[in-house]
Amino acid sequence: MKRWLPLLAAVLLAACTGKTTMVEELPDIYPDYIGVTIPAGIAPLNFNLPEGYDRVFVRVTGSNGGEIKTRGRLAAFPIRKWHRLTRQNAGGTLHFTVLGRKDGEWTQWRDFILYVSDLPLDDYGVTYRKIAPGYTTYSTIGIYQRDIHTFKEEPIIESTLTPGQCMNCHTANATDPAQFLFHLRGGHGATLIQQDGRREWVTTKTDSTLGNVAYCYWHPGGRWFAGSINPVRQCFWTGDQRTIEVFDLASDLVIMDMQDHSLIVDPRLTREDYLESSPAFTPDGKTLYFCQAKAYEVPRHVDSVRYDLMRVPFDPETGALGEIETVIPASCDSLSVSFPRPSYDGRWLMYNQADFGVFPISHKEADLWLMDLSTGEKRPIDEVNSPFSESFHNWSSSSRWFLFSSRREDGLYVQIYIASIDENGHCTKPFVLPQKNPRKLYHGTLYSYNAPDFTKSRVEFDTRGVYREVFSDERVQATVKP
Amino acid sequence: MNRLHRILTSSLLGAAVFAFWMWLFPQDLSYQEQNQLFLFTWDYLGQRLALPGGPADWLSEFLVQFFYYRAAGALILALLAVLLQRLVWRAARPSHKADKPSLYVLSCIPSLLMLVYQGDVEVLVSYPVALILSVALCPAMTRARWHRLWLIPLGWWLAGPVILVPILLSCIRGRSWQDLLMLGYTALVFFAGYRLLAAQYPARDAFFGLNYYRLVESLPVLQIVIPAVTLLTILLCGLGIRLRNPLVPGIVTFLLLILGTGFGVRMTFDKDVHETLAYDWLIRHERYADVIARAEKYQPRNPVSACSVNFCLFMNGQLEQRLTQFYQCGTEGLVLPSIRDNLSDITSAEILWMMGMPNITLQYIFDVQESIQNGRKSGRFMARIAECNIVNGWYDRAERYLDLLSHSLFYRKWALGRKAMIQDESLVAADPVYSYIRSVRFQDDFVTFYDGLDLMMAILYNQNKNNFMAAQYYTVWQRLKQTEAGQ
Repeated sequence: MKRWLPLLAAVLLAACTGKTTMVEELPDIYPDYIGVTIPAGIAPLNFNLPEGYDRVFVRVTGSNGGEIKTRGRLAAFPIRKWHRLTRQNAGGTLHFTVLGRKDGEWTQWRDFILYVSDLPLDDYGVTYRKIAPGYTTYSTIGIYQRDIHTFKEEPIIESTLTPGQCMNCHTANATDPAQFLFHLRGGHGATLIQQDGRREWVTTKTDSTLGNVAYCYWHPGGRWFAGSINPVRQCFWTGDQRTIEVFDLASDLVIMDMQDHSLIVDPRLTREDYLESSPAFTPDGKTLYFCQAKAYEVPRHVDSVRYDLMRVPFDPETGALGEIETVIPASCDSLSVSFPRPSYDGRWLMYNQADFGVFPISHKEADLWLMDLSTGEKRPIDEVNSPFSESFHNWSSSSRWFLFSSRREDGLYVQIYIASIDENGHCTKPFVLPQKNPRKLYHGTLYSYNAPDFTKSRVEFDTRGVYREVFSDERVQATVKP
Repeated sequence: MNRLHRILTSSLLGAAVFAFWMWLFPQDLSYQEQNQLFLFTWDYLGQRLALPGGPADWLSEFLVQFFYYRAAGALILALLAVLLQRLVWRAARPSHKADKPSLYVLSCIPSLLMLVYQGDVEVLVSYPVALILSVALCPAMTRARWHRLWLIPLGWWLAGPVILVPILLSCIRGRSWQDLLMLGYTALVFFAGYRLLAAQYPARDAFFGLNYYRLVESLPVLQIVIPAVTLLTILLCGLGIRLRNPLVPGIVTFLLLILGTGFGVRMTFDKDVHETLAYDWLIRHERYADVIARAEKYQPRNPVSACSVNFCLFMNGQLEQRLTQFYQCGTEGLVLPSIRDNLSDITSAEILWMMGMPNITLQYIFDVQESIQNGRKSGRFMARIAECNIVNGWYDRAERYLDLLSHSLFYRKWALGRKAMIQDESLVAADPVYSYIRSVRFQDDFVTFYDGLDLMMAILYNQNKNNFMAAQYYTVWQRLKQTEAGQ
């Protein structure tokens, strides 16, 4: 009874100041955290009530004990208490009682629960690029890191520092920021490769290749990385279902040897009549997955370009590639596969599937799929997919959590969602990356959270050094391996 | 010079600056206004205050939102000019006790030089605002002595690097070892402040002003010259030169300043740029006949002007008849391809919108807004982005833009009206503009590209014979294409 006294007091207080109506519906909270599964120690899942509610009272109790109460304009939980409560209830549930005040009258909705997983998520946080979603131009762009246990976000690099240079996705080696790279496009463009604090600026374009690498993936050994070269273009649709189509004029796949900055240019992966993209090494480093499509005249036949999932054996000692094998012949079913991502424990392969193309973020129908690498069975991950686009996914270092970007909010602005996966491949309802004031941040921003990835630890980055180096134009020129 | 003369001189300066912006270059006011979106939110304030010079920037954006009305814009710029002149005079006074004759008119120099500099449309109003704040701090900085230890960082945060004007003034007037020490301290403050507040900016930008100029990677010479001249003017006015007959030198100086300003304006005001801006401003206010009238006298020979004039000819029902009377540059002069700047494609976006191509309009106008180089948004462009989303039935997306606009002053009422509208589909359907665009837009979904724009116009007309604009633009497009081929 003692546990219920504060709630009783709140209800009584509400009753004194106005009528409290009990309703059977669940509260319409933003973001939708009802029934999600979270890791212990994640940042508090603050939420808002719909517009018009000027006051909210929330009581959270754990199935293994502990409670938090909060009141205010939104449900905002103290970080330390929240961490304590979630850790105490790992493997259990949190029970939410929510009251909201609108026009002086209180409403109490049906209580809801969320699940606290016993699978830990110990990574420091996530990295992502913030960019205005949409078309061909951007005003400001930046790569950021966010501590997922708090609300702390800090820039790794922003375009204000390197004006006129667009930043491609930041790629760490299996979430370890000790080895990462990203490509800077523009007049001073180059690929920045940072390994254990040492930076190199590499020009990966050679006389024998189409251009610089764009989508990259590190070999787990750290000596190699695979990159696709994609001269990206956009075209636009006339209807009211979609706006933009992003496509590659051509694309090839190369592998960079970091020992001597030489590129493996395999003629099978640089054919003019085929497009190659989205490389990813398996955690044992012996297989390279990628996507390949027959080239068509674009943009006229952009909706005919469909990618299959391929794989090729890779020898980490010599860089030799074996026989190419089709894993998912998606084009035969008039579908297109992109962004294969093997889990770091080697158990699963997650990928995107859409009707066509290689840029699923602009495809409403794009969904996440999961393949069991031991059996080859595959299925759409219905637990996390929505009627809108899901794309750009990555695994946590433990491979028990994954994140992905989704446009489910309004069909345009991308947010990051996190979900867990058990040993049988069952996934949980995802939750959007928590924010201090979610509605204010997510609804008020004009940026998408693009190309997210987990980062095992905080990314250390010497911004001043990078600035000097970008404009010095001192570059290491990649060569082609004979 | 007595009080009356001083009042007259300041009033004359104010009136001249007002007339300059009100009647000679009102388009510049519109350009400034449409390249920012001031929001009455704490977040917006916080973003501005997070940078050195941010308070001046916030204050200037607050003022520039009133440029929505040209009279208000001209009045604000006139008041800023007078304020700067008065503050320069006040800053000069501590060194001479009595009012000194003849040199009052010299205190107009920084304001007039600023007017010349503002001929470059990318100069932000935060620059004069920052200079005003700095000059206002001159007396306090001169008297402050050791209080400069906190006044210098505060001033740098308030106004940015132009705070060097009062710092140098106080050191020049002090001429002691403490002042030398203070210069070293200033360098330290600048460096520490840069690392703390502006680490994501190039050092050069931080040390020469983050928010004084819209274009990145640019540092106009006048941005350095004006604070230097302001400092010299303060020193000069403060010399207390006694003149037996102040009237003649006063008048001569006055005339020289007018001539100098006139010459400076001619040098810095790019006629074609301002004419192109004028077309955009007049089209924004649906004054199509005025565009044609201006073009009859002088028309810049660039595709943006051709596009604007052709559009106005169409709106006045004269496109086919008078096409050859104005500058043409092929089909680009009808609708421009996507160009990455914050001006060129505005009229093209308007044409595509009216013709029934909301998606390409959305692309154009989104890119125009994202091309504002200092990363600011625009009320005008954002309103059109919201409208494109409304026409497409993407109300969730539209609501995001409308909610942002509802925090502004002059777009608030419109945004709230539209937000109420999208709650009820029948209201959207009843809106004459949205329903018209929905009726003439493409019925099929296909990929577009600029080279096929004329075919798309033909499709639009064949779909809906009421789409007179598509028909006429298609006809003229073919005519211009033939002319191009003939050449």
